[in-house]
Amino acid sequence: MAAEVSTTEKGRPARTGRPGHLARFGRPKRPGRPTPVGHARERGDRRLGYMLVAPVVILLLAITAYPLVYNLWNSFHFDNLSYGNLPHNFVGGANYSKMFKSAQWVSALERTLVFTAVTVAFDMVVGLGLALMMHRRFRGRGFLRAAILVPWAMPTVVSAMLWKTMFDPSAGFVDYILGAFHPAWSSIAWLGASVWRSWIAIFIADSWKNIPFVAIILLAGLQIIPNDVYEAARIDGASWWQSFRSVTLPMLKPAMSVALIFRTIQALLVFDVIYIMTGGGPGNSTETLSFLSYNTFIINTDFGEGGAMSLVLVVLALAVSFVYVRAFRPQT
Amino acid sequence: MHRNSLTRWRAGAVAVAAAALATGVAACGSSGPANSTVAGGATQTIVFAESGLGTEGQQTQVAINAFEKANPNIKVSVQVLSSDSTTYLSTLEHDFISGSSTPDVFESDVTYPAKFAQAGWVASLTQFHPNMSQFFPHEVAAGTYNGTYYAVPWFDNPEGLFYRTDLIKTPPTSPAQVVSDAEQAMKTDKSLKEGIAFEADKYEGAITAFLTVDSAFGGTLNPQNVNTPGNVAALNWLHAAIYTSHIAPQAVTGWQEGQVEEQFVSGYTPFAINYPFVEAQPMVAAVKGHVGYIPFPAGPGGTPGSALGGEMLAINAKTAHGAAAWKLIQYLTSPSVETARAIAVGDPPSLPSAYTSALYSSAPYFKDVYTLNTYSAPRPVTPNYLQVSSDLQTLFSAVYANASASAAGAAFAAGASSIKSDANATPGS
Amino acid sequence: MTSAVADDVPAAVAVSISRGPRRVSGKKILRETLFYIAVAIVVLIALFPFFWILRTSLLSNSQVAAGVGGANGIIPSHLSGVAYKNVFTEASFFTPLLNSVIVALATTVVTIVVASMAGYALARLRIAGAGPILAFILLAGFFPVLAMIGPLFLVLRYLNVLNNIYPLIIVYLVYTLPIATWLLKNFFEQIPSELEDAALTDGATRLQVLRRVVIPVAVPGVFTAAILSFILAWNDFAFAVSFLTSTAHFTAPLAITTFGQSQYQTFYNLIDAAVVIISIPIALLVLFAQRRIVAGLTAGSFR
Repeated sequence: MAAEVSTTEKGRPARTGRPGHLARFGRPKRPGRPTPVGHARERGDRRLGYMLVAPVVILLLAITAYPLVYNLWNSFHFDNLSYGNLPHNFVGGANYSKMFKSAQWVSALERTLVFTAVTVAFDMVVGLGLALMMHRRFRGRGFLRAAILVPWAMPTVVSAMLWKTMFDPSAGFVDYILGAFHPAWSSIAWLGASVWRSWIAIFIADSWKNIPFVAIILLAGLQIIPNDVYEAARIDGASWWQSFRSVTLPMLKPAMSVALIFRTIQALLVFDVIYIMTGGGPGNSTETLSFLSYNTFIINTDFGEGGAMSLVLVVLALAVSFVYVRAFRPQT
Repeated sequence: MHRNSLTRWRAGAVAVAAAALATGVAACGSSGPANSTVAGGATQTIVFAESGLGTEGQQTQVAINAFEKANPNIKVSVQVLSSDSTTYLSTLEHDFISGSSTPDVFESDVTYPAKFAQAGWVASLTQFHPNMSQFFPHEVAAGTYNGTYYAVPWFDNPEGLFYRTDLIKTPPTSPAQVVSDAEQAMKTDKSLKEGIAFEADKYEGAITAFLTVDSAFGGTLNPQNVNTPGNVAALNWLHAAIYTSHIAPQAVTGWQEGQVEEQFVSGYTPFAINYPFVEAQPMVAAVKGHVGYIPFPAGPGGTPGSALGGEMLAINAKTAHGAAAWKLIQYLTSPSVETARAIAVGDPPSLPSAYTSALYSSAPYFKDVYTLNTYSAPRPVTPNYLQVSSDLQTLFSAVYANASASAAGAAFAAGASSIKSDANATPGS
Repeated sequence: MTSAVADDVPAAVAVSISRGPRRVSGKKILRETLFYIAVAIVVLIALFPFFWILRTSLLSNSQVAAGVGGANGIIPSHLSGVAYKNVFTEASFFTPLLNSVIVALATTVVTIVVASMAGYALARLRIAGAGPILAFILLAGFFPVLAMIGPLFLVLRYLNVLNNIYPLIIVYLVYTLPIATWLLKNFFEQIPSELEDAALTDGATRLQVLRRVVIPVAVPGVFTAAILSFILAWNDFAFAVSFLTSTAHFTAPLAITTFGQSQYQTFYNLIDAAVVIISIPIALLVLFAQRRIVAGLTAGSFR
């Protein structure tokens, strides 16, 4: 039985991945080791498949499911490590109602949502621009791609400290350049000195680090779009903008959805940048949900309320994934 | 068949999770307090946790070596923890929460003993009949909870006002004079970048900087009632330094002790609010030998201002070597050992009797430190200090970022009730 | 690994799609120039902060205190290596670096083994529930790290392995396994199945096929997954700051945050020297392997 390989019109073999239909029937090749027959092969493959997949699933379950269950449990109990002598009584929804009523938490929620919306919109637009740039064939494209990737490869804390230095009035570059335009601008204090200036610094640091990843994902999407679709549009006399709108964007949908999911969740959970650059200041004005939950665990050692906050974060992340997956149904 | 294996998995996964959950919950509960001592004569090893790096750590080791020589039955194992105070505290708490009997002795910031005492993590020192009157009283108070002593002062770091004696001929005698002196100095010496440097970042140091100025306006930091005229006036003074007289740059909102010290030793400011360590730093020629160090001058109705910092020594409630631990503490806090440490690394002693002429001849600035120690005000002694501190840090950082002149008053008025309730919070059931 | 065809669209054609028959016009030259300027700006924005860090790391303590300006401009007149000397002597940065290398390497090895197995199974072997399994694996990658810290901390404490870098190897898998599995699955799907089918036809068992046929061909994909895993494991901060408490056990990103800070002082040049040291291997890795990384992240992602 010859192998049947189907191809797309581009000459790439389509995914066959179906073991079993090629097996020889009942003719052992090695003494004592009979080649399994078709269905037996499938069963054998399936068993092997489960064994191969098991480690990943078990490891990830251990690392994620246990904390999830534990936080869920804790969120319905009193659990404050500083009062280790006290019993962990069941308190029902008390942790949750305290959290929902707390003005600090509600403000953190608002800030997190606004930050997410602004940063995701900005990063998608800029990321798309960068992807288009990286997609073109030109000399030095490799270097451009490498340069764009480097910020992404840095640890988040390094990038945060890097930008904290850049925004320092004395040791930083931002004020140095601004000072060239207007002398009074050479000593503007950014972080901790003003709410909106702190947010600008955080926004720039976070976007600088994360836009490259969005760009790479969108680049992947651009690479999939076959040339003849563009050709057809050109023959029809479409302008660049028209072909972009009616050809590129629709075919980018799967890539955009992946980029959106990743970036949205990253922005919702932003922590490192806030911790390093402002510590939530000035006042509480740059506290996000993740930062607040870290404080609750560490400063207040309140694992009950911390558990409740963690649950909310998880629910948010899941909700976002669900919404995006639904909105951008992928073809797989 | 595949369904079976899936169900098997799921069951297995749930079992794993449940087992881990059960052990986690079990590990969470702690056992009751115990404090036994080991019979004398046998060699014991006690664990001493501290955060000293570099020369401080070396000096500690020198003292410990001498202690071991004098006490052949006791071995001390030093555990160096993070010098970052949040991490340091977390590490200690984790040990306590898990009911560990080590470290037996540990270094504790002046703001921790009340919290540890309420949680039952530190041993009461009454059993050792300590002589607390030999120490500076404010620091003793920091280690007292419900009338019982829980920690012994080790070093006593008072924050005060540094000034350049070449630019400021006579030390200022009122807060208003600090401002006018600063303005004058900035006019005459163009190499100065600002008139006063102080810590206004969102962190604990902002509270001590505030405290240094507070008593000069007759204020006290009492969490039960923070909205007092004295406190508002003190915060207004600091706020006005940035936004009214402009003697402090807005960049102070990013400064901690290190940046403030840098500004002073580089000669960029005639005044700085900071700790004694500044005196031991390398200074530029213009500054060297021209350093004055005083409590913040009192205004009408106030007293000279200084904030208490420093470290104390305490004993783990679960230790099995209480007597040996106490011996170590007594040794480290004895006058001669403290004097030696001060000469070597600059940590100001916590006993007046350790301020000897030998100390003064090696480093004359300790005379100023002694004066400051008599005025230094402690931060609120409450088991919930961390939450109170967090509230205060938020309050101060919001005020420093707000140009409005009434920011301080409004912030105290708005924040008073939540600070009070945080200080009074008792564990829920 | 075939690259998508649209990747080869030459710049000129792309430009002229909008304008019918090709014309080499002044307008086109202008557009090209503008494009290259845009590229230059992007590269500048991406890399300039590193230059600034490098510059600051080569200053002496007093120069840092003096601030930027005058002789201390974008390119300072005097350079000093004192920060680098101090990084290794006073601040002993070597230990955290070593810790990071150990953990990242070990995590990478475990990831490659586990993810290759799973990726191959999901790509080739028909398992019922492959869709949900993959979905779970990807979802695990979205799980908020901060929600894991508390419970995992208690587990590690119970097992008495707190302040120890080795448990991190397991914990970091939550960063690396999802993306490595997804990447390797895509990669294996792209290997023509005729290779394996031929071997199977010749009577080899599935395991033998794996060993003899698949693994040798899988090297490029595994290499890419390894690079990505290393970067992700190297970069963690949240877990390290929660589980590691004494300086001897810090990893490099954690050490950096408390770096250049003795009890009171912050030395920007010291911090920046450490940042440069920690960034160089990553930057080099990316520069030399960018083609692999981009290919790995993009190939077959959206079939």
